[in-house]
Amino acid sequence: MNTEIAEKIKGMLVENLRIPADELEYTSELFGDDIGLDSIDSIEIIAGIDNLFGVQMTGAARENFQTIETLTKYVEEHMGE
Amino acid sequence: MGNERRCVVTGLGLVCALGDSVDKCWNAAANGVTGIREVTTVDTTDCYANMGAEVEARSSELSSENYDRSSLLCIKAAGEALADAGYSADCFDSDRIGVIIGNCVGGAASIDKYYTDEIKNGNADTSDILKMPASAIANNVAKHFGLNGATANIVNACAAGTMSLSYACDLIRSGKADAFAAGGSDSFSSLAFSGFHALHALAEGPCSPFNKSNGITLGEGAGILIIESYEHAVKRGAKIYCEVLGSGVSSDAHHITAPRPDGQGQMSAIKRAIRNSGLEFTDIDYINAHGTGTAKNDEAEFLSLHTLFDGNDHVSVSSTKSMTGHCLGAAGSIEAVFTVKAVCEDTVPPTIGYNEEDLENLKEKAGSIDFVPNTKREKPVNYAVSNSFAFGGNNASIVFAKNPHDIPDNTNKQRVFVTGIGELLGASDEAGKGLRCDITGDDYKEHGIKMAFYRKLDRFSQLQLISGMRALADAKITVDEANENDIGIIIGTADGPMTEIVGFQKNTILNGTANGSAFSFPNTVYNAAGGYFSIFAGIKGYNVTVANGIQAGLQSICYAADVLHSGEESIMVASGTDENTDVTYELYEKLGYTESFRLGEGSVSIVLETEESAEKRGAEKLCEIAGTSMTHKSVEFGTLRGSEDAMKRAILEACESAGIAPDEISAVCGFADGNKTVDDIERAVYSEVFTKDIPVISVRNDIGEARAAAAAQQAAYAAKLLKNDSEGKYNYILAVAAGVGGSYSAVVLKKI
Repeated sequence: MNTEIAEKIKGMLVENLRIPADELEYTSELFGDDIGLDSIDSIEIIAGIDNLFGVQMTGAARENFQTIETLTKYVEEHMGE
Repeated sequence: MGNERRCVVTGLGLVCALGDSVDKCWNAAANGVTGIREVTTVDTTDCYANMGAEVEARSSELSSENYDRSSLLCIKAAGEALADAGYSADCFDSDRIGVIIGNCVGGAASIDKYYTDEIKNGNADTSDILKMPASAIANNVAKHFGLNGATANIVNACAAGTMSLSYACDLIRSGKADAFAAGGSDSFSSLAFSGFHALHALAEGPCSPFNKSNGITLGEGAGILIIESYEHAVKRGAKIYCEVLGSGVSSDAHHITAPRPDGQGQMSAIKRAIRNSGLEFTDIDYINAHGTGTAKNDEAEFLSLHTLFDGNDHVSVSSTKSMTGHCLGAAGSIEAVFTVKAVCEDTVPPTIGYNEEDLENLKEKAGSIDFVPNTKREKPVNYAVSNSFAFGGNNASIVFAKNPHDIPDNTNKQRVFVTGIGELLGASDEAGKGLRCDITGDDYKEHGIKMAFYRKLDRFSQLQLISGMRALADAKITVDEANENDIGIIIGTADGPMTEIVGFQKNTILNGTANGSAFSFPNTVYNAAGGYFSIFAGIKGYNVTVANGIQAGLQSICYAADVLHSGEESIMVASGTDENTDVTYELYEKLGYTESFRLGEGSVSIVLETEESAEKRGAEKLCEIAGTSMTHKSVEFGTLRGSEDAMKRAILEACESAGIAPDEISAVCGFADGNKTVDDIERAVYSEVFTKDIPVISVRNDIGEARAAAAAQQAAYAAKLLKNDSEGKYNYILAVAAGVGGSYSAVVLKKI
């Protein structure tokens, strides 16, 4: 996993979605009970990823949004497209 | 049964995309003419939608004052309504006619202008700061027309325009006013457009309620109704349009933006309104629906309407938003004007936008209900309902009737007690920018609030949630299925969630309307804090947020006591909440206020309860709320001088309602904050009202000018003083608070 990308995504989640940084691991379930993201947050993630990397996630499958790790993988695979 | 306090409509005023008068708007709406066009006042570059329903007139054409557009739209509509009602200073006691305005986005256009100037030109106009808060609107309207009855801005987003009418009727019925200019106002704004765009809630084309249901189209405007006691209207020989019967206000306690899919919250408001009108569902001839055109609203509303009205074979339903767009805080009032016209003209305006195929689809969804597609329906309309549902899960419904109708008298004269207090107030001044609260994870853990919930909250909502939960815990109230509908919330604020609003607006200015934050936008409405509190606590009753300057934190107690006396709830949480962040501090600093007082922040929530409820659950009572009063004397918003008479009236009326003479007051919890003008006014009025030297307690010495939180704290402090007064020093303590523009609230607390 590209930790530079992962850190940027983490920073975006902390900044834009007010997730406490110390409670956010790369493998934390973003849509699970603890962090509890919802559909509005996913709009924000899509906008944030587009902003940071120019990668479009509109319509991307749900599983790509599960963790920072899966988001990073998606960005790595689609950067520069 | 009985309707000694009949409320009637004696004047109407309207400005929206359909025109600048009631006649123009009604002719267009009844004939299915749309006001929806391409947006001209907001930069929609890169947005997937660009439709809106804007008012053609420029702000300077609406009224001559240098006010925010929301105020100017409102003055325009109020002018028409007052003239229509034959208002003159001869036939009204100006102290007995007030102004209650519903609003969603406050001075959003001025906030946009101020920060655009700051970011792009480096020089913002300080005079724009006083145009920012929603608090200014009712005050500006009152000032323009010289109305000196109670004022309030009801800031419950898209339900605000209906709630303001409901509150006006309640105050008239309890004898606190003869009449109100009541309604709502909102201007078109980049804030709302960018926010709904970010939520993907805007329709690409014109909105299509109960049809394609693919999003809203935003509009702007103002609707004002002169609501008057029947006795007063008859005495002055006024023309009477129709009766206002009962209303209902409820909370979904479900989600900050989406309605409950099962429609329970909507139905609760409609049921309350029908019940409070002494009617059956089968009596209703017309429903002006909320009908925004989003899939979630329309699905829930279809379900609510079918569940409640399927046994009614003559009800018609339409959404005039298909022509006016969604005017947010003005929506309920604009639709109330159309509903009154429907009753008077026996004409139901249509929902427009159906093609042949849509009409076929509608048949299935409509069932036995007549959805009045495309063309108006001429039919007898004796009883009509207007519905409004808002962000935060706030619902309101109100009933208009052609003829007098006995409504049930649910009012009770029970004593009201304080049974719990929750405080969160600023204590440290580390940044040198006034006092701030230190909120930690433990504050949330204490009440079982998980990170998944609290991370959504902006500062304003955080303060409110913690103080509200502390107050419920202090009162030992557990919200459950048995009492969830009997508990309500009133929150007072001077400045609302200004930090979140400014943050959202700055982002929109820097990154374009197309790049608004979907995460932040739901928190930019003033009632989000009350929404989150109701969601977390599970409170499903009355839920209103009032923006009305510093004194709103005490006004919330007056309002909550009124709700208890109306018989609508048995427990109310009354709060005062305001934040002090770098954003708010900077605004107060620019206005020069931070030189005279120390800015503070916080939230104070007080549980008020009827005697029956407190006895039943064995609650510990801190003191009694013996009397309340809300007054106003119009002076320019941002000032107080010249309004002394209203302060005097507030004290005298509160004492009168407590059944005591002013000199029976043992002490005053006052509003002194170090500003010389304010403190001088306060001192002068006390020396006039009280014939003896009276001890005056100033809570702001310790907590700073925490605005509405400090005003609520005045009452909380007094309640604790009475509870712990082992020396027998106090029998009655008076709390009195002031708001710029000349609004005052006073509460008499009594030892038990």
